[in-house]
Amino acid sequence: MSTEAIQAVAPVAAQILEPSLQPMAQGQAFSTGAAAGVQGGFGNLVSQGVEHVNQQLLANQVDLQQLAVGNVENLHQVMIRLEESRMQFQLMMQVRSRLLEGYQDIMKMQV
Amino acid sequence: MDYTQSFAISSIGMTVERTRVDVAALNLANANSVAGPDGSLYKPLRVVAHATFASSVEQGLNAPLVQIEPTQQPPRSVYEPGHPLADARGFVTYAGVDAATEMVTMMGAMRSYEANVAAMNTARNMALKALDIGGNT
Repeated sequence: MSTEAIQAVAPVAAQILEPSLQPMAQGQAFSTGAAAGVQGGFGNLVSQGVEHVNQQLLANQVDLQQLAVGNVENLHQVMIRLEESRMQFQLMMQVRSRLLEGYQDIMKMQV
Repeated sequence: MDYTQSFAISSIGMTVERTRVDVAALNLANANSVAGPDGSLYKPLRVVAHATFASSVEQGLNAPLVQIEPTQQPPRSVYEPGHPLADARGFVTYAGVDAATEMVTMMGAMRSYEANVAAMNTARNMALKALDIGGNT
């Protein structure tokens, strides 16, 4: 039941998931997967995505600092990079809300 | 196509149009410059953009594809006998900048820039709409 729920929640990630994830419970993937670095787990995938978004936000911060001190060569490139990172962030939020929905559905399940 | 590629295309277009405006501003700034005693005279510049968009999309945002060429506009000769740089007949040679042409160039560049921004916004809105798929709002 739990693997079906995971695949329903994240159909994109289901293609990349390794078979090692299949017996893993979902709570395990969230709590220990990101922190302890379970090899190739879904938690790894999530933390990689979050890390990528974070990197882009940090790069934007550098851009904005350059803009603030006055040495900007192209205003529209800064804006475009801001938009790109905003969309990455939105995508991350959407993935997060889908995951939380699935998680809460499972937690509310009558056993 | 990735949405970052659409952004890169629009960004290249914006860069070209911005260069056009910069060059037009440079021409206007030098519109009243006179020829020096050695005959050196400012030549109006034109931006020549080459259609290498398709190949430069993959190269990311910084793709140089414009050339700035001097035009063959003849210089203006104005009769100003009191001018310190006037020649024997009393004529002063000014740079052959046509202010009306530069204004039209700037207007067209601004409209093209807006069109590029509109294209980028359309791609952005489409990507953001795609994020609404399956949402319950």
